[in-house]
Amino acid sequence: MMYEYWLASVYGVSAAKKRLLRERFMTAEKLYNIEEKALHALGILREKEIRALLDARKKEFRKEYERMAEQGISFIPYFAAEYPRRLKDIPSPPYALYVKGRLPKEKGRCVAVVGARRCTPYGEEMALQYGKALSRAGVQVISGMARGIDGAGQRGALNGGGRTYGVLGCGVDICYPRENFGLYMDTMKEGGLISEQVPGTKPLPGYFPARNRIISALSDAVLVIEARERSGSLITADMALEQGKDVYALPGPVTSPLSTGCHRLIQQGAGILISPEDLLDEMNIHGKGDLQIINKNEKMLETTENLVYSCLGFIPKGVDCLVKETGLSAREVLEKLITLELQGVAKEISKNYYIRIL
Amino acid sequence: MSFSTIMSAAIEGLHVEPVHVETDISSGLPVFHMVGYLSSEVKEASERVRTAIHNSGIRIPAKKIIINLAPATVRKRGASFDLPIALSLLSALGELEAERLKGTIVVGELSLDGRIREVKGVLPIVMEAKGMGCCRCILPKGNAAEGALAEDVQVIGVESLGQAVSYLRGEEDVPAEGSGGQESYDRLYADRIDFSDIQGQESVKRAVEVAVSGGHNLLLIGPPGSGKSMIAQRIPTILPPPTHGESLEITKIYSVLGLVDREHPLMSGRPFRSVHHTVTKSALAGGGLIPSPGEISLAHGGVLFLDELAEFKKPVLEVLRQPLEERKIHINRAHGNYVFPSNFILAAAMNPCPCGNYPDFSKCSCTPWQIKQYLARISQPFLDRIDICVEAPQIRYEEIRNSGAKETSAVIRKRVVAARKIQQGRYEGQKLWCNAMLGVRQIDEYCRLGGEEERLMKQAFSTLNLTARTYHKILKVARTIADLDGGGEIRLSHLKEAIGYRTVDKKYWGR
Repeated sequence: MMYEYWLASVYGVSAAKKRLLRERFMTAEKLYNIEEKALHALGILREKEIRALLDARKKEFRKEYERMAEQGISFIPYFAAEYPRRLKDIPSPPYALYVKGRLPKEKGRCVAVVGARRCTPYGEEMALQYGKALSRAGVQVISGMARGIDGAGQRGALNGGGRTYGVLGCGVDICYPRENFGLYMDTMKEGGLISEQVPGTKPLPGYFPARNRIISALSDAVLVIEARERSGSLITADMALEQGKDVYALPGPVTSPLSTGCHRLIQQGAGILISPEDLLDEMNIHGKGDLQIINKNEKMLETTENLVYSCLGFIPKGVDCLVKETGLSAREVLEKLITLELQGVAKEISKNYYIRIL
Repeated sequence: MSFSTIMSAAIEGLHVEPVHVETDISSGLPVFHMVGYLSSEVKEASERVRTAIHNSGIRIPAKKIIINLAPATVRKRGASFDLPIALSLLSALGELEAERLKGTIVVGELSLDGRIREVKGVLPIVMEAKGMGCCRCILPKGNAAEGALAEDVQVIGVESLGQAVSYLRGEEDVPAEGSGGQESYDRLYADRIDFSDIQGQESVKRAVEVAVSGGHNLLLIGPPGSGKSMIAQRIPTILPPPTHGESLEITKIYSVLGLVDREHPLMSGRPFRSVHHTVTKSALAGGGLIPSPGEISLAHGGVLFLDELAEFKKPVLEVLRQPLEERKIHINRAHGNYVFPSNFILAAAMNPCPCGNYPDFSKCSCTPWQIKQYLARISQPFLDRIDICVEAPQIRYEEIRNSGAKETSAVIRKRVVAARKIQQGRYEGQKLWCNAMLGVRQIDEYCRLGGEEERLMKQAFSTLNLTARTYHKILKVARTIADLDGGGEIRLSHLKEAIGYRTVDKKYWGR
């Protein structure tokens, strides 16, 4: 296995060529021991790639492999039995996966929740709700552990008590972005962190689009919650389509630049997300539990509170704006907002700016 | 051969140090020599004094003239010793009777033609005159009104050396200066600035009223152009009018820096100091070789406004921590410690993010990280000293056009004064005068909560992730809101409003 790791960690040889070499030699160890001349004679590798292989032999990969095991990272090469079947079906499967925690269950359904890093409170709330509803129904939620939608979707899944898997663009031992550390730890416990990068790899921009193909490949359907036009989330959607997966997009206000990407997808024929129940129906999943998300709290509020609550939305509103819309005084509005906030139906997202939460 | 002495004074910080100006004339080689730890501008006095005396028609004999400014341990600076030196010299020459100079403090700068120019720091000197055993001050005419603010001291304003001499000889009678009229508080601002100028911003106005009533420091957050500085500028108009004693204290500070108005010397309003973010540490806190008051002392009794709080350099803001806590600042130098008063309400303004548009997502182009970094420029200990935080929203067109009846400063001030009175009554006999000054133990005593209120705070504590510090701040602000409501128990509505004003906690800022 140590030599398998060595082959996987060679930088500068494509996954496809590694697979080819591995098939030719049957074990990585043989490849490790072969002479330079023989490598030339194979006719598979170019000069540069041979150099990369030879250089890699000098690295202390044995120590690295041991350290990896100590950190509890499992190494799963392409030829291993645990290697996810779903990944083998795509045109360019990664040569090896590094996993902290578990891999998604082969038999379980998987859905990816993806979207913009810089999202609106609306998108974040929706990602949370969909993540929660899916995990309640027993669906495994897959995402990229990024800021914004990705993280919210996974957080929702954790709140729903189900499994969630984060596919990273860096080594699995690195938490990026740092503010997601809590999510990183929880995901590791309740699911798994997956990456095709060797542990210790820094999060470089180039790795992220490649990561997206793994997200879509591991999932049966991809939900795009919020996306700008020409954004990374649309790359994931494109890959999902190439891989023959279902794509769903969440509509938003036509004025919001963060929803234009989703609207474009719908225009091109993606499924439209109306409600989590609707989605589960369409996917033929019949879960249990309370999935209703609309206006669940309105009955419990008194009249003036309801007045303030009804003026709140997913676009942040300032106190003065609410004063004008409700006709109440600034004092009263502030008082009602605090009541709503304490009841958990409103949230202050910047000083004196409130949104509704579901 | 002949000797004379005359009283004057030197200013060190706000402290007045009596100085005796002594002159001795003896026969010997003709010299004009000045001693007594003098700075260069005092040394130059010899030329001004001799020329001014000459130009006033008095001849100085060619003798050995020694002038000493005692005590020699105090550094003498500034030009205010010109006139006492001249009068002391004339007295030693026998031009004036020494008897007539007894119990008189003299300050003033001389011009070459004998006219007397104004000097800085007159008011503190006159106020200390009694303590130095003097009951008369001879001052430049331009400073006379300022000096007359002090009670029980006869203030004589003179225009020229000639006039001073003839007054002291008894040849000319110069009437003692009467204390100038005081502008009424309402008139002071009425035609210039008033809260009714502000369009919209109801929630901010209310927050400002609460802040002023309890002496709480205030942070306004809002996009550029939302009128944050306009609001801050009007805070002094709703502060209770200063008492005569407070006015004098404020005027003293301005006097030391020579910023007193000639016509209306008494600072009958409360100061508003707006500080630009390029300010240096010593300009803000006070400083210099012999420290002089900085902006925080100039704001004493009034409002210190820091616009663009996030643009201030961190060390500069940290300087404010001690004065905000103790309401005075200690400046330590190798040759002594100086204390300046700095009891002010801090009003700060900042944008919510580098571009100023957060949380308007269609306009804001900042990343969450940038927003976090922006707030991180202000240290938590500094934020902890701010009790009330409120958002000043962008003003819309309808609000600019709509000029309905709005509350004037006078109306708001009436409520503020009432709330302050309740506080003063409650804290009688303690070293407190407003709710903002309450310590943890006093909060337990004065901000008791009923059962229902207690439950609300418990719920808020866990739901809103409050810290112990924010918890105490909320109680203090709730106390003030209850005082605005007549001073009874803190009720649910008071607490809820106070929770709405809680300061942003960095951890939860940005997402």
